[in-house]
Amino acid sequence: MPPENSDSLTSFKEFAGHRGDYYGRTFLRIQQARLPRLHLNTSALLGGFLWASLRGNWPLFWIGFAADMAAAVNFALIHKYELAAVQAAADGKDFLVQRYDDWSDAHLQAALILFFAGRLLLGWLADRLYYHHYARWRINRSLPSGQAIRRLGIGMLAVLFIAPLTIYRASQFAPDQRSCIKLARTVQDGGQVPLRDRFDCWTISEFPTLVWLERPPQYTFPRNDDGTRSIVVKESSSDRPVNLNNWLSEHIDQGIDYMKAFYGWLFDGVTHWVRVLLNAVEAVFMGTPWVVTSLLIIMAAAKLAGSRMGLFTAAVLLYLALFGFWQTAMSTISLTVAATVICVVAGLPLGIWVAKSKVGAAMVIPMLDIMQTIPSFVYLLPAVAFFSVGKPPGILATVIFAMPPMVRLTALGIQHVPASTKEAALAFGASPRQLLLKVELPLALPSVMAGVNQVVMLSLSMVVIAAIIGAGGMGFIVVDALARTQVGRGILAGIGIALIAMMIDRVVQKVNRM
Amino acid sequence: MVMAERQVVRVRGVWKVFGERAEEALQAIQQDNLQKGDVLERFGAVVAVRDVTFAVERGEIFCIMGLSGSGKSTLVRHINRLIQPTHGQILIDGQDIGALSDEELRALRAKQIGMVFQNMALLPHRSVRDNIAFALELRNTDPFTRHQLANKLLETVGLQGYGDSMPSKLSGGMQQRVGLARALAADPGILLMDEPFSALDPLIRRGLQDEFLALSRTMSKTTVFITHDLDEAMRMGSRIGIMRDGEMVQIGTPEDIIIHPKDDYVADFVQGLSRLKLVFAHRIMERPETYDKVHGNLADVDTWPQAHPKADLNSLVSLIIGQQCPIAIRAEGKLAGVVTKDALLKGIQGKSS
Ligand SMILES: Nc1ncnc2c1ncn2[C@@H]1O[C@H](COP(=O)(O)OP(=O)(O)OP(=O)(O)O)[C@@H](O)[C@H]1O
Ligand SMILES: [Mg+2]
Repeated sequence: MPPENSDSLTSFKEFAGHRGDYYGRTFLRIQQARLPRLHLNTSALLGGFLWASLRGNWPLFWIGFAADMAAAVNFALIHKYELAAVQAAADGKDFLVQRYDDWSDAHLQAALILFFAGRLLLGWLADRLYYHHYARWRINRSLPSGQAIRRLGIGMLAVLFIAPLTIYRASQFAPDQRSCIKLARTVQDGGQVPLRDRFDCWTISEFPTLVWLERPPQYTFPRNDDGTRSIVVKESSSDRPVNLNNWLSEHIDQGIDYMKAFYGWLFDGVTHWVRVLLNAVEAVFMGTPWVVTSLLIIMAAAKLAGSRMGLFTAAVLLYLALFGFWQTAMSTISLTVAATVICVVAGLPLGIWVAKSKVGAAMVIPMLDIMQTIPSFVYLLPAVAFFSVGKPPGILATVIFAMPPMVRLTALGIQHVPASTKEAALAFGASPRQLLLKVELPLALPSVMAGVNQVVMLSLSMVVIAAIIGAGGMGFIVVDALARTQVGRGILAGIGIALIAMMIDRVVQKVNRM
Repeated sequence: MVMAERQVVRVRGVWKVFGERAEEALQAIQQDNLQKGDVLERFGAVVAVRDVTFAVERGEIFCIMGLSGSGKSTLVRHINRLIQPTHGQILIDGQDIGALSDEELRALRAKQIGMVFQNMALLPHRSVRDNIAFALELRNTDPFTRHQLANKLLETVGLQGYGDSMPSKLSGGMQQRVGLARALAADPGILLMDEPFSALDPLIRRGLQDEFLALSRTMSKTTVFITHDLDEAMRMGSRIGIMRDGEMVQIGTPEDIIIHPKDDYVADFVQGLSRLKLVFAHRIMERPETYDKVHGNLADVDTWPQAHPKADLNSLVSLIIGQQCPIAIRAEGKLAGVVTKDALLKGIQGKSS
């Protein structure tokens, strides 16, 4: 028998207050690791979250409340589908009646299981968690102990706030957003709307539209005879107010239109030079007969990465050729190469700037962080907005997506050049330029090359996605196959892409390691 | 003007305070005479060099010696302005280097000042030869000249045939020789050596010290030599400056410092040092008259062993072993003093007679 009058027992009783004997005994068993595996606290089992709030144990309160709530919601759903079944029967739609009846049965089962399982769980957890509560209370006496009606009030308040609306929401079909907008308009125009509909729209539908704004006027930028453009403002055709989303997106659209109208030369120029670069690359990969290209690629791979890689490359090319992917694959590779070139040429100086200047780091690093968190195909939007569709915008989206590692790794490499090495160079009279070219960049080279490797791989993956905006290549076959549900073709092209990726990755890595 | 010519490097009242609020901290220090700890607490600034003044004369090896963290490296980096003083002036050949333009400063570093680092700091991506000729390359010397010169220097430091090796393939001692060759490449008048031999094991260190002494005698460079090893300072230095917590506590010849340590700190330092080779006869000899008053046997002076006032204690010991009589110290034929056995023993022990 446990020592019934030990120190701990007194402290248990002091903590538990009401029904101290029971908790004293239980806690003693927990401390002695003699609590039966299936021990249940009956008052917690029966009282549920009310018991927990009385005892001031909020974790148990939320567990119990969540289980009971879930059961209640299921009960409400039964009601909802029963009503719906009645309605359907009145409409004579027998198949719907059947379906609604099935659903309400399912919810009944769920409700019962949730209720009983939840209570059992709570009863089982109660003393175990309550013992932890006691342990913390020993350290910090300001934690709640004993039983207090006041805490029951707090618990009830939380219940009152959450339960009614939630259960109401479950028992009703929520109005859709469109009808709520209609309703809001009617209210604004001074029309009469039943109170209940209004209540539904405000509480259980989509978050209500709080801000109504005047529809922005329409701007157009027609071209004059002398080639300049003027700005023409037209009042919006409808004077109905719009919500925040519509208002802002219309402004953004007009901003883009404005930029395109007045700075079109800039975007055209960029598009032009990207196209020039792409043409040059394509001339190499696509303009030469496949005999020559494939031989050159295989030889280059073998020379750079060893004869085994040469063999693998040959196998990949053979796959592409046999399945009729040759031209498309070369187009994809050309896009990748062009994007990589731009990334390296732009990323290297940016990386140097970031490494050397606090301002540069403060400006560029947050941008890189953003660029790396945005999902890749979101980049397609600005590319399309400013550069329309086709290969150049595809390359530009790819560049934005693939550039961050180049900048980061260049900066990292330069920052990791030991201070003592730089100091030595300075001590012998190196100018900042000489320091960069003769010391920092050579020492950062491994890091820079790792950056190039990543750029290549990211470019390849993005170039495939850019097929959505008409960049063509292997990605287009996949996109097209998706649209027409031609799974087989898509899979073959997908394998082709994977093989190209493996080929490039292995070769670039081997080169880096040498 | 003659002074300026003789003194190649002059450091005048240099302060260095590290930290964002260095200027502010410096003013507070000068007004309220704050100590290192207070400055760190109040300004978050570290006082690395504290009002240091000294001059290095042409052709001498000036050793700066102090414990780790006493500001030696910081101080020496002021001389080629790798570090800007918070306050004070550095003159090289009478020219204030704070007033130089960037380009002039680079030329000064490339042509007039060579530096050797504690951690070698060779450029790991360049061959030994390209490392040595680095200063010349920075001044756009043609590759042929660089090549020739590097070969000559490799020979000087005893590394013939290693020109095409990469630095990482060499041992520490060899790397430090490369560092030395690199510092000598532009034939600078001034050498700054920041604990060049500290990272090496004692045998190699000893060898390199000797080699460097021989080299510096033939090439007559003005050298500032940093070390935290007193023995090394005593061996290498024509004069020694002892630093503590950024302050230059004492400057003097090895003998000065050993005989007249300025305070307990310096005395503690030199306590364990063998004086045999660092203290000379004139320091411990008695005037002939004084001797005669006590002993009265000065008449036998011609039968005694003879030594020069500049003879070190070690050689005096050799002379006096097995003798009953004292040693006569003669300068230019005249009797300058007398060293008795007791005086010699006291001299070795470091107690003044
Ligand atoms: N860049 C810096 N920023 C802040 N504090 C510095 C900096 N460089 C040196 N210090 C501080 O200046 C003091 C002197 O450092 P210094 O490197 O000159 O000492 P040292 O005598 O060369 O020591 P060691 O024998 O260990 O090389 C140290 O307290 C150090 O923390
Ligand atoms: Mg140092």
